[in-house]
Amino acid sequence: MTSTLADTNTGLLSTRASRLFAFGGIFLIVAGMLLGDVFAIFILHPNNARIGENMYAAAMAIPSGDADAILRYFQEIGGFLENRGTKVAAHTHAVAIGYLAVLFAILQPVIGWSAEAKLRLAWTFVLSATILPFAIFTIHYAGLAFSPVSFIGWASIVADIVGLLAAVVVVLQLVGLWRYFRSAGATGSVLPALGAPGRLLLTGGGLLLLGGFFYGAAYAAYIENLLDPGELEILRNIVSNAAAGQSVDADFGAFGGLLAFQGIHRATHAHVNTMGLLLMVFAFVQPYVFLSEVWKKRWARVLVIASFALPVCIVLEFRFGLIAGGAADISGALAIAAILAFLFGLVRQTGVQDNAGGQS
Amino acid sequence: MNRENRILILSGVGLLALTMFFGFWYAVFDEHQTLNAMGYSLATGFVEAAGSNIDGAYQALDQYAALAREYRQEIHFHGHFAFLGLTLISFGLIAHTLGYSERLRVNAASLMAMSAFLFPFGVFLQTGSLHEAGKILAVLGSVGLVIAILVMVIGIMRSAETTG
Repeated sequence: MTSTLADTNTGLLSTRASRLFAFGGIFLIVAGMLLGDVFAIFILHPNNARIGENMYAAAMAIPSGDADAILRYFQEIGGFLENRGTKVAAHTHAVAIGYLAVLFAILQPVIGWSAEAKLRLAWTFVLSATILPFAIFTIHYAGLAFSPVSFIGWASIVADIVGLLAAVVVVLQLVGLWRYFRSAGATGSVLPALGAPGRLLLTGGGLLLLGGFFYGAAYAAYIENLLDPGELEILRNIVSNAAAGQSVDADFGAFGGLLAFQGIHRATHAHVNTMGLLLMVFAFVQPYVFLSEVWKKRWARVLVIASFALPVCIVLEFRFGLIAGGAADISGALAIAAILAFLFGLVRQTGVQDNAGGQS
Repeated sequence: MNRENRILILSGVGLLALTMFFGFWYAVFDEHQTLNAMGYSLATGFVEAAGSNIDGAYQALDQYAALAREYRQEIHFHGHFAFLGLTLISFGLIAHTLGYSERLRVNAASLMAMSAFLFPFGVFLQTGSLHEAGKILAVLGSVGLVIAILVMVIGIMRSAETTG
């Protein structure tokens, strides 16, 4: 059995750097998940409908040869796509960088830098990681206002700068790991025993990740070899039928079906994997959650059920449409509730450790 | 920290550093240009059709499809690298607790780390002239990942106590 470098008094919440990484990371995960839920309810479907309407209107302008109208409709479509793309990117970046922050919190005992340097790196990373999704979110609204260059706006410039800063911190963490691993006596685990709730979350997370990989492989093989007709063929049919003055309703039906097929499968694949990682990340913090074993188990079960239900509900949108979409949103909300419960337990643990003089 | 932990954690953080620098480079030098070109090609396809130039419309739509494919693969490269980096670190934290011999744990960790580099790299190669080679690498990488994760998950379930 390997010895442990960390126990509940010396691990995740024992230094200011690890606390900053842990709480900053969980804040980002919750914020990203909330944004995802709100986006799915209020923006995703209306936005897709508007894109379809404008594309249809552009096709209707082909028979009359009205190029100005076509360009106007595509200008609108560009705006809707940017609105959707920046929301999705803000959601995914917040959640992913939040996971990374929590993992860095756990790894702090094996980062070979001084406590002061670790704290500076933690501040740089958490601030950059917090600004990054906010800046991405703002891109659509800020546009090119007051921008020093003509092709990208301030929000994009800020997102690029903080993204670079965060990347530099990741490299410095890598160097810190290398320094530690090269030193003598670099043995032992950074995690104390996870306990029953932790094992439940870990097993659930592992199974979801496995399922996500199979799902992704099957989807990629289908898209590559069997999907027919593809996007290009449908678009060609739309323009040629519109130019010949024929109906394009069937083509748009196929186009909408294809986009829904791709969107739902990609979202399912992404959410199976991210929820799998979420379960694993929260398995690792279980030893530091100061709640009774009974409540830890209850919240762990809630998080596992919500994490399995969310992607299942997304894929059921094929059959049940918005009802399944609503169930996916409820699953997301349940997962957020479980995370907040664990966050509450972690905050309580800091009080216990501070009273015992455990923070440095 | 055992060898299997170090392999996975160092590879995972390395993958994340790589993909974050790629993301920065991509956002600054490629993404806006690609998106603008995609929009321009798609709109041109419709405008050419409005001028009864169906060949020109098809040409523009072909260009749109090629750009859209390139864009998707670049985004997939970035996203998969980041996700796999997080996955490697996560398994790296508990790799020593899997219910296997040390040799099997190290082999599974090595397979997972190598496949995690191979798979997104194969996806990226598919954006250029090495499309077929990229496809082979991506398939090999994804098979390796599925096997390694399967071994890890069974190991988690086999181990009576997963940490410590």
